[in-house]
Amino acid sequence: MDAGPLSRVTPQDITQQEDVVITHEDVDRAHDRVRVSAARARRGVFSKFRLLWLLVGPGILVMLGENDGPSMISYAATGARFGIGFFIPFVVLTFCMALVVQEMTMRLGSATHRGHAELIFERFGPFWGWFSMIDLGIGNFLTLITEFIAVRAGLGFFGVPPWAAIVSALVFLCLAVITHRYWTWERTLLAIAVFNLVFVPVALLTHPNWHSVGRALIMWKPLPGGLSQDTLIILLADIGATVTPWMLFFQQSATVDKGLTRKDIHLGRIDTVVGAALAATAAVATILATAPLFAHHMTAENFQGAEFAQALQPLIGRFGAALFALGIVEAGMVASVTISISSAYAFGEVVHRPHSLNLPMAEGRAFYSALFLCAATAGAIVLIPGLPLVYVVLLVNVIAVLAMPPALLFLFMLANDREVMGDLVSPMWANAVATSVVVFLTLAGVLFGISVVAPNIFAFLHGK
Amino acid sequence: MPSRDKGHSSISSSDQELVLSSLEPEQLAGLKKHHIPRRRLGGPEKLVLWSLRIYVLFMMVVVIYQVWTSLH
Repeated sequence: MDAGPLSRVTPQDITQQEDVVITHEDVDRAHDRVRVSAARARRGVFSKFRLLWLLVGPGILVMLGENDGPSMISYAATGARFGIGFFIPFVVLTFCMALVVQEMTMRLGSATHRGHAELIFERFGPFWGWFSMIDLGIGNFLTLITEFIAVRAGLGFFGVPPWAAIVSALVFLCLAVITHRYWTWERTLLAIAVFNLVFVPVALLTHPNWHSVGRALIMWKPLPGGLSQDTLIILLADIGATVTPWMLFFQQSATVDKGLTRKDIHLGRIDTVVGAALAATAAVATILATAPLFAHHMTAENFQGAEFAQALQPLIGRFGAALFALGIVEAGMVASVTISISSAYAFGEVVHRPHSLNLPMAEGRAFYSALFLCAATAGAIVLIPGLPLVYVVLLVNVIAVLAMPPALLFLFMLANDREVMGDLVSPMWANAVATSVVVFLTLAGVLFGISVVAPNIFAFLHGK
Repeated sequence: MPSRDKGHSSISSSDQELVLSSLEPEQLAGLKKHHIPRRRLGGPEKLVLWSLRIYVLFMMVVVIYQVWTSLH
């Protein structure tokens, strides 16, 4: 296998370099890799499953992490406002796009052992690197704010005051990383992230018409009410609910932190596919869960965050509504962890400071400080009275979509960079799909821009 | 052999051997300083990068305008 330029570093180089320091981060990662090698060396179905179990994580976490507070609220608003006909197949399509894109980051991380921010800075220089960092920093910070909005709104359903909700989210963040061990952090967060599927029983409580669901998936009905600025915002919000810049940075850095290598790429793909399937299931379930609000001619306009749960209560009972609110809380809490970590990884990579969840506090002060500082500031902003919650949430997803094309271009160029990737460059079909995604996102953004500058353009085109 | 840094004196020699035998060389945190050569960007690549950069800046202005009109 052609290994690319990074393989110029050989074990002989290491033994010759007196200044190479073995760190605790390396030791922890080595212990994880020993277990992977042992599982790979054994034969039998159980060993294969054990190997898969050891290697899954970044793909599932990034996909379920992206089913975050604003995403679930966007899906809820979608179901309540437009029903299922157009949006269920649309959301499945967006997850297919996310799958193609995220596979590239996993492949890049496994092949180069470098984070996404680090690779952009090294290959394209600081000029383009800083542009990319500014996009990521702004996007991540705004998204973090909305995660805390989701936690606040979800816990508000149970009568928890806003300040207590934010403090509990910050405590959760601290507890998630306190072990200073990537493996423990990943397994703990995976166990919590799977709770995202709580939207499935909520959807079942609404007794969906499965015939209509099946027909929606096959027939793909047109947009109800045609294209308008409001519809475009929901469309962009749903795209932004599945493909965002932080996901690229997070999965690649987590892949590196976990220690995946070229040998693990096949199982890394399975990890990403499983993550996409689980996240798509939860997303579709959320649309199904709030679709009765559309069928009963109720709208989402007056509902904020978990007030969707209150709106659903007459239809699915207190228990179902509580599950929905808990789902929103989980989505916000898990994503607040993954997004904070994505920012801290990128920060460490750019300023060349140690950046790993295997770092003890003494060695990773900069990494952990960046992580907590981002989260605490975002949490504090959410306590400002009078924030228009749903509007902020939808807008953040829109911003994520608008920032995505340049981020995808860097990813696309890196994944096709033979000097970095060797023979692991993207195949033609993946390039075709990635190009289509960039064009699609850019066009969607341009349409949104036109609708803002000329609000009546769609009505004019419809001849109204 | 790699040196043992003052800050990592708790790492035993067996752990050091474990690291060297189970991690690929580029996975070592200490070797991340090894630079990857800068890529030379061609004209079409620069054009696309600049176009998308201008697109993002323009769209951010649009979003700010959208927020402003919504709030007023």
